[in-house]
Amino acid sequence: MSGQEIPDLRTLLGSRRGGPSRGRARGRGGFGSSHEGREALKDEAVRNTDQDAAGSRVSCVELGYLHDPYAKLFATQPATRRLPLLNRGSYVRTSAIDDLVDRFMNASTGPKQIISLGAGTDTRYFRLRDRYPDLQLVYHEIDFATNTAAKLTSIQRHPQLHSKLTSRSAPNPLALPPAATTYHSSTYNVHALDLRTLAASSEENTLPTLPNIDPTLPTLLLSEMCLVYLPAPTVSSILSSFLQKYIPEPTPVSLILYEPILPNDAFGRTMISNLSTRNIHLPTLLAYPELSDQRARLQQYGFHQGAHVADTASIWRAWVTDEEKERVAALEMLDELEELDLLLRHYCVAWGWRDSGSEGVFTKAWADIKEQ
Amino acid sequence: MSSGGCDLDKAIQQLRACRPIPENQVRELCHKARELLIEEGNVVGVDAPVTICGDIHGQFHDLMELFRVGGDVPDTNYLFMGDFVDRGFYSLESFLLLLCLKVRYPDRITLIRGNHESRQITTVYGFYDECLRKYGSANVWRYCCEVFDYLALGALVSGAATSLVPTDGPMAENTNLDNFPDSDADIEIETLNANGEIMYRYARNSDSQSSQPNSNPASSSPIAPTPSRVGPAGTGATSSANGSVKNDTGAILCVHGGLSPLIDTIDKIRLLDRKQEVPHEGAMCDLLWSDPDEIEGWGLSPRGAGFLFGADIVKCFNYKNDLSLIARAHQLVMEGFKEMFESTIVTVWSAPNYCYRCGNVAAILELGEDGSNAGYQRRSNGDQGGGGGGWILGSNDGSSSNMVGNGNDRRLSSVLGDNMQRTRDGPGRRYRVFEAAPQDSRGMPAKKPVADYFL
Repeated sequence: MSGQEIPDLRTLLGSRRGGPSRGRARGRGGFGSSHEGREALKDEAVRNTDQDAAGSRVSCVELGYLHDPYAKLFATQPATRRLPLLNRGSYVRTSAIDDLVDRFMNASTGPKQIISLGAGTDTRYFRLRDRYPDLQLVYHEIDFATNTAAKLTSIQRHPQLHSKLTSRSAPNPLALPPAATTYHSSTYNVHALDLRTLAASSEENTLPTLPNIDPTLPTLLLSEMCLVYLPAPTVSSILSSFLQKYIPEPTPVSLILYEPILPNDAFGRTMISNLSTRNIHLPTLLAYPELSDQRARLQQYGFHQGAHVADTASIWRAWVTDEEKERVAALEMLDELEELDLLLRHYCVAWGWRDSGSEGVFTKAWADIKEQ
Repeated sequence: MSSGGCDLDKAIQQLRACRPIPENQVRELCHKARELLIEEGNVVGVDAPVTICGDIHGQFHDLMELFRVGGDVPDTNYLFMGDFVDRGFYSLESFLLLLCLKVRYPDRITLIRGNHESRQITTVYGFYDECLRKYGSANVWRYCCEVFDYLALGALVSGAATSLVPTDGPMAENTNLDNFPDSDADIEIETLNANGEIMYRYARNSDSQSSQPNSNPASSSPIAPTPSRVGPAGTGATSSANGSVKNDTGAILCVHGGLSPLIDTIDKIRLLDRKQEVPHEGAMCDLLWSDPDEIEGWGLSPRGAGFLFGADIVKCFNYKNDLSLIARAHQLVMEGFKEMFESTIVTVWSAPNYCYRCGNVAAILELGEDGSNAGYQRRSNGDQGGGGGGWILGSNDGSSSNMVGNGNDRRLSSVLGDNMQRTRDGPGRRYRVFEAAPQDSRGMPAKKPVADYFL
């Protein structure tokens, strides 16, 4: 564990120490403000997790685990080489989700929609455009305004990115005002939105408008380490606003989750305690501790045609071909096998869908995928 | 740093406080260490009693906890099975402290090489970066790597007792007394927590060990030759065969990783030219990289170096070399130690909450001293770790009559045709299990370790 991998705690401390609300946050100002202070800190910590993910992606790309020419363009911190086991984990996570998405893209020739929750610096849209230049795809990314602003700035800065957008449809991202937080076009949309407002407004029936979301297109919802930061009931309301309001039945919809599991064993307890020192809390981890809980949860959301789960250890074993395993194993000497297995067993991919059954787009796309 | 103990003691003091020593002192220390290590064979002879430790990985504060639990140097005789560096934040302080102790008390501490004591591995897993960060140059890393090349590849512990005197300490919470053997039983294994409280106790040949399944009678482990000696003087045993068994344990081979298909006798280890960087293949590499596994014979290692080896390999090797046990490290085990293959091999892991992330406990393995006259030496820091008690020495405890000795076993097995597979009774084994040092004892909150996760 080299020095560069130690997250910079000073950024968190800085906001805690230097923030104007320090006195109140420490409790003298009464419960309400102290609570808000804590929540603000938590939000900031969650927003910062995105650069963590970006750094891991760059490390993977530079070592040859993943092919992603765009990863580096979004990373704001200098690339630091991650430990081999983290590279392996990032590889499994990304390639597993890529596999599910690819099968969706290939399932039919019709137009499709993807909504990425807490997308952050994710490069998936740009990679999909390269891979499926002719496919009609409407892509949406939703994240905190600070993250979407940073993303749009990166897009404006790099021709490799903004040229991808202008070649297809207006408007030109270069025409956006400085510090813009949203971007809309017929194929690519960036929405600045705190997902929790969906949970709040679904009760009041005043959902915010999300431009260009098409209620009729087969839609894949993607949550890679996003919804896990919210309480389970909030997650349920957010998802039901998508599954019932934005994309009402009978439009086919699916959800892919990537989240940690097994909070109650020694590794899981340590994870929770370590992350809490970074002000990161994972409420749904406790709500859905086992693989079976994740599966039941998908069914609960109404994914009756399919609800499947696999931890990333089993995905490495069962989804990755022998040839690919050999390629990846040769990239770096990996001495931390026991630890890798431990780590991979504590993350899972869960995928569930609702469609018309045997001829449905998701039923066809994901029929052959083995769950654990 | 002069050869005298004074400067060395000062360096030890400074390192114990987790403060690095100046570069010129490191150079001198490493030079002395090399002079010392070059005299050691590839396989160091070590007399019991000895406390065997597994991977440390730069977890300095946990190393201090290990010394608290196991006793300090030189009061306790230590054997560290490698992987002192990498992964943790204090590889430098941890390794230099152990090296200082080695130079100061060469007969009370044995260091053997792990697969991380290598130039190539330390550049990937942190030790190189740490040296660069703490000294501004790679010189110290280079000095340390030169020492790595001189570390022994293994150790052979002789004179270990086969039985334990049950620790006369308090019971740990949640200890199930129903499973405890009778007070007069022959104790083979005892597990204590960091406070010296008893967690488990197993009697030799008792049902409580039924978790170790008897292997196929047709398997390869043959019968040891009849021991020539008789029971020690003063034995209260009813027959010499029964009496002698107390001291009749083979040696214990300690090695970081495991066995090699190129090595069938310990003498072949002695013949290797070890003074080099760990090679990518070959016997020396295997000893540092291999793992036992539930397979037959040899298998390819998923680590990309070394091999996997099965129970048959271990039993055959132990028989051929008159070993009662192989102790090794190298693999994280959540419980701190793991015996395999009917207790013919044990993994000892001494880095609690490995990488500040894994949540595992750590363990050290104490082997007592055989012999009819030597008394159990109470640890000098008995107020900290030990719960009292001691090793059975000789066999005058009166309990040996209910024990079946090796000589007897053989006769019995030939008559009854049962599956006596063990050539040698393993040594009595006392495991002390401990958790990570409390976070607040680590000081320096800015360096408070935060492990990496997928976010």
